[in-house]
Amino acid sequence: MKVQGRAALHGPVPMELFDATQQLLMGALRGAATRQSALAQNLANANTAGYQRVDVDFHSALQQAAEDMRSGADSSPADLEFRAQADPQQMQVDGNGVDVDVEAANLAQNGLEYQALVSVMDARTRILQSAIGAAR
Amino acid sequence: MGLFDSLAISASGLSAERLRMDVTAENLANAQSTQGADGQPYRRKSVVLQAVGAQGGFAQALAAAQTANAAATGDTSGAQPGGVQVAAIVEDPTAGRRVYNPGHPDADGQGYVTMPNVDTVTEMVDLISASRAYEANTTAMQTAKQMFTKTLELLR
Repeated sequence: MKVQGRAALHGPVPMELFDATQQLLMGALRGAATRQSALAQNLANANTAGYQRVDVDFHSALQQAAEDMRSGADSSPADLEFRAQADPQQMQVDGNGVDVDVEAANLAQNGLEYQALVSVMDARTRILQSAIGAAR
Repeated sequence: MGLFDSLAISASGLSAERLRMDVTAENLANAQSTQGADGQPYRRKSVVLQAVGAQGGFAQALAAAQTANAAATGDTSGAQPGGVQVAAIVEDPTAGRRVYNPGHPDADGQGYVTMPNVDTVTEMVDLISASRAYEANTTAMQTAKQMFTKTLELLR
């Protein structure tokens, strides 16, 4: 039998509820939440002598996880653990490495990214609800 | 729980900056106090801040041990940001300005009065810095709150 449409392009349509996109979304949400803590920590220590800024690079961790998935690894991006990494630089004479403007920009960007992820997740949930006839 | 963590971290930043503001206000209020608690001229105070879990404390040792353990077991949870805390409130040891004012009750034999080592301009700059840092922390808190609200909207 000849397969048509999307299935013809990408193989069988995934049937599971928590497909790769959903798992990556969940991982990205947790990554953005962890990064929010790290950026809040940087702002809280904007006047701490010798403090070095931390950041969470969850984008590259997710990218790696997505590549692993494509190559058929048995790990889920939703299980990724994100960790704050030190990012040493000197901004002030007391050894502090926090640039408040950069942190504020990162914070705004991370917050918007998180909200965008939640919106995508919400839209996907609505599609599923619609499919099972539970949409309002 | 990531987002509640960041609210607590921002809250620790808020109270640290408020304390800095309080101490600066005390310095300004005592800029002319020639008699402190010990009878000496008032000494300028400043707040020493410390990142929670930094500078070789117990938390850092624990986090390091967990990291070493995590490398063995593949578990990478553990050391997470924890906010800021006040390490100490220290007195500025620099000598106070000496002003010639023989009529002053605290004047010495030569008619000089030792004033507090408070420089009003420095205190004003500190005040602005604390105020701006406080604002930055409220912004971080606001963002975390918005993120959390957005997540709750998933349940609607």
